[in-house]
Amino acid sequence: MKTAILIAMMVLGDSAGDVFLTRGMRQVGEISAPHPKALLTIGARVISNKSFLCGILFMTVTFVSFLIVISWADLSLVFPAKSLVYVLSTLGAKFFLEETVTIQRWTGIVLVCLGVTLTSLP
Amino acid sequence: MKSTARTTSLKKTILVLILTIFAQATGNVFLSMRMKEIGSNDWSIFLVRAVESPTFWFGTALLIVSFIFFVTALSWADLSFVVPAVSAEVVVNVVFAKYFLNEIVSLTRWTGVLFISIGVILVLRSERQKVHLENREILTRVDR
Repeated sequence: MKTAILIAMMVLGDSAGDVFLTRGMRQVGEISAPHPKALLTIGARVISNKSFLCGILFMTVTFVSFLIVISWADLSLVFPAKSLVYVLSTLGAKFFLEETVTIQRWTGIVLVCLGVTLTSLP
Repeated sequence: MKSTARTTSLKKTILVLILTIFAQATGNVFLSMRMKEIGSNDWSIFLVRAVESPTFWFGTALLIVSFIFFVTALSWADLSFVVPAVSAEVVVNVVFAKYFLNEIVSLTRWTGVLFISIGVILVLRSERQKVHLENREILTRVDR
């Protein structure tokens, strides 16, 4: 049960992190850098963006739960579970970021998910 | 939040995604090399010996660089494109593990690599079509 909760936290944290990072980056705007100095200003805007920081927080939750769970759970359970992130992040992109996900893209994402599961097995 | 018309070309996005993937995979090789060198089961010894090595910090720096490239790509393209596209890193990780770390890669893993490759090609195609459609929309709007 403890393992299931931590794995859920790891997977959901990762997807939520992706969604928040994307939202943050969209709010800051497309990054284009004519000068290194301009890059620094953009960098400062990025790391002071609330959505971006929220994304980093979720990524931290993911990383910590990952470290805790691999200290006792079977790796062949933890790694395949990580591949769910691809599907969940896409759902997040569709419903929270209003991206259009075509059937072709869904097929590709499901194949990636299956492939990542297979590569995580021994 | 509706995705707005993007000005950054798909080529540039793909280039940055390739940089993301290679920075990440190379970083992993360096970290893994160092971890195998230590090979201790005791976590505290492990951590202390890891942080005193330049290999460890070089690997970590590469992972940070990879993250910067990743969020840059997110500012240009769809999340539903960037995330599966970056999964090509698993393919590179497997190939690097075989050639640089001399790990044995099973048939199951190679099958996974094949699935991911086909998946990434499909996702790339879907993004190309999308960009194509968006451009046509902009053109028709200009015509009117």
